[in-house]
Amino acid sequence: MPSGDGMKLFGANNHGAKKIEMLKNIPIFQTLTRNELLEVDEMLHERTYETGEIVFEKGEMGHGIYIILEGRVKVNPCPELPASAVLEMGRNEMIGELALFDEVPRLATVVAAERTTMAALFQSEFTSLLTTNKNIGVKVLVEVTRILGHRARQLLIREKHVPSI
Amino acid sequence: MKPLPQPGAGAIFVAIIITCLVLFLFQRTVWLVMPALVSLMLFYCLRPVVKALVHRGVSHEWAVAWVWLLLQLVSVVVAFNIFRFVVAQATSWESNYDRYLAAGLNLMTKTTAPLEQMIPALKRAGLDSQLNQQIAEIGASLTGKNLLPVILLTLKWLPCVLLVPYITYFLLKDSVRLKKFIIKSVPNAFFEKSLLLFSRLDASLQNYFQGLLWLTLLDTACLACGLKVLGIPKALWLGLGSAVMAWIPYVGSIIACATVVLVAAVNFPESVQIAYACLILFVIVRILDDFIFLPLTIGRKLHVHPLLSLVMLFLGGTVAGGTGLVLALPVFAVVSVISDVAAQIATDRKLVARFWMTRRMANETCKKLSAHG
Repeated sequence: MPSGDGMKLFGANNHGAKKIEMLKNIPIFQTLTRNELLEVDEMLHERTYETGEIVFEKGEMGHGIYIILEGRVKVNPCPELPASAVLEMGRNEMIGELALFDEVPRLATVVAAERTTMAALFQSEFTSLLTTNKNIGVKVLVEVTRILGHRARQLLIREKHVPSI
Repeated sequence: MKPLPQPGAGAIFVAIIITCLVLFLFQRTVWLVMPALVSLMLFYCLRPVVKALVHRGVSHEWAVAWVWLLLQLVSVVVAFNIFRFVVAQATSWESNYDRYLAAGLNLMTKTTAPLEQMIPALKRAGLDSQLNQQIAEIGASLTGKNLLPVILLTLKWLPCVLLVPYITYFLLKDSVRLKKFIIKSVPNAFFEKSLLLFSRLDASLQNYFQGLLWLTLLDTACLACGLKVLGIPKALWLGLGSAVMAWIPYVGSIIACATVVLVAAVNFPESVQIAYACLILFVIVRILDDFIFLPLTIGRKLHVHPLLSLVMLFLGGTVAGGTGLVLALPVFAVVSVISDVAAQIATDRKLVARFWMTRRMANETCKKLSAHG
């Protein structure tokens, strides 16, 4: 297992403050309080992928999102993605966010470009969080929506596409 | 999460066979299965309280400790009150016991006398005297030295009862950690499917225990209303006690029914019809329970078809007796989920190929590292 900061997030010898600091740097959790971050931490699953290892494949059902804690991943180009799509992602970025709201097929194949540590947030656990702790749910949803909106805006600008409304 | 796809007939058949095998094994280890079941029930009831405390800023460890302490306090208060009741009754125990025995014998005589008049063969066989003698013997055996096996049986089950708070505590404290630990050992290729499996198992078990609580509430309401209408004192407590006793299939219901009929016989010694009405009420609630409430509450919560619920109850009872009846539905639901996800993994060629590719990559990396010293 690597010994980066990402690994310290879930390890047995971690300190609460370090965990909070790490989670606070992840955009979708940046508005959460300390207690809320501790609750979210219980739901995150850490995975480490070796260079070239597939994280998920195009077409398979997505059950959650991944947040990159260490390393980089690359998105394999495919006809469904726009030519201008960002094909490489790094620390604190999230991938597969559409699967957070619905079990939909993955749009592209994602492969680890180097040894990468990621935190996975599973869709059903996130849904249960939305119902049991609405404060966290609303805050995370607002951040996810902000990121999705930003990406949509970028896409529209790059593709020079003007929406009909 | 999307609703689960309906499994095919073959998958259901396999799940039924595996369930029967598991129930047979559980019957052999009932001393461990029963406390684990009670602990699971407590876990699913107390988990929301722990979550609420964590949300209010209490650390998980402290939240679990507080909830467990509360559980212990409630247990101690309940045990103390039961003890106090028993001690208070101890002085008048024999007279009360005689009163209940006499009421039982009176009820028996009033029941058998008309029967003997209607069927002379029964009179010739001495039905009334034989039954009275049997009941008197049973009564005598319960007060005398034969109480020893009952005490020994209670002592035998005591360690199992004592296991419950400890299993509950560790489930509350470490369930998330245990889940993460198991998930961590799963290869990356199967990670999402394993999480899906855990999520569905958790939902199935939670639904089962929620269903069981609803069933208990329905039983309590029906019995309490019925007993109140019949004029039986403390109808609500008798209804609640009977509904909880019904968790033990057959035996529990029979004991609860006999107790309520005796209470009716003691309170209305001149009117045996009240005791008969209590008996009929129990039979009606039992029928409602087996054919309407159980499939509607537990069956529906577990997403098991009511007809399949009934089939599983019959099979469970046949394969593993009382244990099988209690565990048939939850075990079937869990086995269905596991077999469904396992089939999805095994038949997904992409996932399997990805797993082997990752292993090959890991082996090659190891070889390269060892070649470089």
